[in-house]
Amino acid sequence: MTLPPWTAFLPYIEFAAILVVTWALGRLVGLLLSRVIGQTMPQVSAAAGRLGAVTVWVIGGVLALQELGVSTDIVLLVVLLFGVAAVVALREPLQNIGARYFSDLYTPFRLGDVVEVAGHRGKVIEINPITTVLLAEDDTLRSVPNSRFVQEVVTNLSPQAWREVNVPFSVGGGVDMPRFESALRKSLGKLRLHLDPRFPPVLMTRARSGQSTDLTLTVLIRRPEERDAITAEVGKRVADMVARAQAGRY
Amino acid sequence: MVALVPPSGRAARSDRRRGRGLPVPAPDADPLDVCVNTQTPLLQFTGVATAEGVPTRPPETARLSDLEEGVDYRFSPGGVTRMVYPLLKRLHTDRRVRSMHWVALNPLAPETVFADDLVLHNVRVAPERLAAYGNVKETIWGTVHGLRHPEGSDDLFWSDDFSEYAYYNRLTAEKMRTLDADEDFDLFYVHDFQQMAIGEMLHTLKPKLFRWHIPFDVADLPESWRPAMTNYLNSYDTVIVSTDRYLGQLKEFGYTGRAVKLYPYVDPSDYTTPPPEEVRATSARWGLAPEDVVALVVARMDPMKGQDRVVRALARLAPDHPQLRLLLVGNGSFSNAKGGLGLSKADRWRASLESLAQELGIADRVRFTGHVTQRELDVAYERSALTVLPSPREGFGLVVVESWLHGKPTIVSRRAGVAELVRPRRNGLLVDPDEDDDIAAKMDLVLADPEGLGARLGSAGRRTADACTIDAAAQAESLLFGEVVNGG
Repeated sequence: MTLPPWTAFLPYIEFAAILVVTWALGRLVGLLLSRVIGQTMPQVSAAAGRLGAVTVWVIGGVLALQELGVSTDIVLLVVLLFGVAAVVALREPLQNIGARYFSDLYTPFRLGDVVEVAGHRGKVIEINPITTVLLAEDDTLRSVPNSRFVQEVVTNLSPQAWREVNVPFSVGGGVDMPRFESALRKSLGKLRLHLDPRFPPVLMTRARSGQSTDLTLTVLIRRPEERDAITAEVGKRVADMVARAQAGRY
Repeated sequence: MVALVPPSGRAARSDRRRGRGLPVPAPDADPLDVCVNTQTPLLQFTGVATAEGVPTRPPETARLSDLEEGVDYRFSPGGVTRMVYPLLKRLHTDRRVRSMHWVALNPLAPETVFADDLVLHNVRVAPERLAAYGNVKETIWGTVHGLRHPEGSDDLFWSDDFSEYAYYNRLTAEKMRTLDADEDFDLFYVHDFQQMAIGEMLHTLKPKLFRWHIPFDVADLPESWRPAMTNYLNSYDTVIVSTDRYLGQLKEFGYTGRAVKLYPYVDPSDYTTPPPEEVRATSARWGLAPEDVVALVVARMDPMKGQDRVVRALARLAPDHPQLRLLLVGNGSFSNAKGGLGLSKADRWRASLESLAQELGIADRVRFTGHVTQRELDVAYERSALTVLPSPREGFGLVVVESWLHGKPTIVSRRAGVAELVRPRRNGLLVDPDEDDDIAAKMDLVLADPEGLGARLGSAGRRTADACTIDAAAQAESLLFGEVVNGG
């Protein structure tokens, strides 16, 4: 029995179909991951989504190449070697980048604060993905790798720094910011007895692109012993609001 | 960019003649692209009601030349817009400003109105949000004007209503930010307390000016408001206030940025002397006989304006001055207008003044004109023997300048910003607005000697008014724009 001539194109059709499915899965996984991670760590949700999408694309790409008869052993080996090489070569920067994300959550300082870390003291004037730049009292710049901020003891010398809780997060570019902010303020108003009444929430825009808006919410707490609980509660409320925004509520 | 040069040669001589002595922007300075924001819009739109009485949605864009004044819109009377519009026109004519975009709250207006070189952008807010925003605005207003106990609104910034204040501010900031993406403004100029959060929300490195138009007295402001308010104010590059006293209070409050005092202003060319027959005819329409002696109060119908104090003073003076009449000129503000926030404060206040006059037995001596045209306003000043500004608190009090421009003797509340310009018995008289007897006594002084003291006060006041003219303001603001844009 001879196969119809179109079956010669079958591998290509399957190749294309796998790419289409990969594209859809990449979007879906990216969205789901960013939403799930965003429930607890809204500031890394976008990065988690992108990482998930890239992983799906790598798997999908390998499967698609298999359909074309390309030996994927070599491809996988190359990817693996590249991965290992990248991790080895970029170990320090990756630590710093990772620390940058975690410092957003766990390190109690922000731009303008005076901090001391690993023997360096100064005003925080820049926090980039790799380093945090301090302006020292002698007018010199100290560039401290971000990883030091999670490995070392950090002292925030700014007055009342313990009061401040900063929650960085991102919302999609299509979100109606006035509605979002209004709803967020109402939600945070429920916690007012635990927050410093003189300082209403401040929502600062850090960066904006067509796809997303990076924001930082700042509230001040009343009692130091409640810091952990308030940080968690504020983070949860922000995550809820971000999830609603992603669902098109704002 | 505006280059600043000190005055020299002819320009300096001209300035000295005019008594200003200020440096002026270089004539060849590049004009600026400016985005202005006020709560009250320049034009108030009436909206087109359907058969059910519900306003139809206005068109997205309109050209002012296609609209009819009095039918589709009217110019907002008084207040901030009365200062901002002439200033923009003057700076544009003088080539200090190039493109002018004006963002304001205007629920019933088209989103964009093209008015020659000025583009008006109207922010629309749903009625339920507008009502909550209005509550916050009234609370701040009442507190700043001493009508509310400072500690009575401690949690204002945490209230659900404040969320709507933030909504309106964020909506406006987003509009200004979107415009900036197209226009690349040189300067943002935000006016008054209704929009104080915008500076922080704009998220721009571009220069931001803020003008605080109402009184600023630390004693009137709740301590709990201080951190939030200073945070908002400190987000601007420069804050402008209307008097030296407010300047000191602003710094005492905790504002750490650059602050300057600039007197509010009017355009003297807007004020003319109507012919006697027009004065007679219009006065007759208001129920004034030729032999009546008129005390004038020009103010919005609002308890904060203190018209009741003059009504009580009139009752004290009535036995000795049988021809004395009180003319109350003014209506509600944008907040009271149907096309505005829809609050009914003005009607309630007028009713209470009418019943007060009734109780005191002087109802036949008090006349209410309601809203007047500029022409009618000129008639009111011309017809008056004296004017009174009785406000218990007043950011400045431009009506005093208007009165001076008409050469009329003026009695001014000590708690008005303009009191800073009054030299007692030289260009005006100061009164304690809480002392009806004081108001009556000062009115009696002028009424007893209209040709002597009255004429002297009016004549000297006319000279004082020079400090509050559009000429002085355009020069000062142009200079300030340049300094702010150039980081001077």
